[in-house]
Amino acid sequence: MATTATLTLTSADIAGDPVNVSKTATLTKAGGTSNMDQSTGLNRVHLRETTNVVLLGAVAGGNDLAGKVYIINKATDPTLYITVTINAQIIGKLYAGQWLFMPWSQTDTAADIEIAATNWSSTTGDIPVEYCLFHEDTKILPDA
Amino acid sequence: MATTIATISLTSTDLLSSALAFTSTNPLNTAGSATGITQTSGLARTTTSYSGSGVIESTTLYRSDDATANGANKVYLKNLSTTAAEYYTVFIDEEEMGRLYAGDWAFFPWSATSGTKETFITTIASTWAAGDTWEFDGIEVVAANGTVNDIAAQIDAKHFPNWTTTVSGAAVTFTARHAMDAGTVVTATADVVIDTAGSGTANVSSAAMGTATESDIMIIPSVHTAMTLEHMLFHE
Repeated sequence: MATTATLTLTSADIAGDPVNVSKTATLTKAGGTSNMDQSTGLNRVHLRETTNVVLLGAVAGGNDLAGKVYIINKATDPTLYITVTINAQIIGKLYAGQWLFMPWSQTDTAADIEIAATNWSSTTGDIPVEYCLFHEDTKILPDA
Repeated sequence: MATTIATISLTSTDLLSSALAFTSTNPLNTAGSATGITQTSGLARTTTSYSGSGVIESTTLYRSDDATANGANKVYLKNLSTTAAEYYTVFIDEEEMGRLYAGDWAFFPWSATSGTKETFITTIASTWAAGDTWEFDGIEVVAANGTVNDIAAQIDAKHFPNWTTTVSGAAVTFTARHAMDAGTVVTATADVVIDTAGSGTANVSSAAMGTATESDIMIIPSVHTAMTLEHMLFHE
């Protein structure tokens, strides 16, 4: 048994021919076929901070392994986004309903994954964010 | 408006003591709107391969110039290798995101924060004659006549590999195709070659240095032997 991540990308009209991509990955440990065996489980936070806050703290035990991160912005207002950053490098913005699934090397303890509700204000309401880390670190990860 | 749907399903029956199963679906829209993204690179494959003793260089998959800065751009990557130990390391600019091992895929937003493009203006002046030549960036222009505005127009009509141009009178403005901080303007101005029978000049009247891009997506394979990455960019 294993953990699987399946991606489906479909579009009938973004190109002249349909786009239909479906890929399933089995989450394994780095460089082998052993199943990934640790997870934070699915977490939910309510973000109301316009500057970066740590969502997942990097630890040396996770350095250059096969960790995977899932983050979704659960806001329903399409204008509300969160900015996702690794070690001050902006990855991108997740608008309402959008998600990411990416590898995470935790190259050093500065490689935290941080998020910011960049355009949040007291009138917009909180931005619910769900996230999950699949990892093989040798230490327990500090949570946000 | 195009409609593109991205769905992720994460499942496990034994990672936790309770089954894990969740699915998220969202349309790929432009930033802050309900309008679908309309541009894509299409599904592509890039194979990397290096000689056995050589340094494994990085490969730029997407330049920040390829998408709208701070847009709701999305990137799909998949390592097609079937050898478990083979991986691609994914970088955003100089920051390592993570490793994609054989069969792994990623789908993430991309802000595509770009730098600024170098520019300079060269002005055709003084006495030129038909047959005089002007050369830059590997492109040669042979003057059809001695009128400076006409020569500038001839230069503007060319297609330069590393620059785009606009013209106003006898002044041609060059803009680099990619943002970079390479000091190219200084080199470019020295690289303009003029062969004129008269006193013709093509002096640079103004120039602006560029700044480096900050979020190009680069990959480095773990082995010298051939590996292939499948990738696709959805962008504004």
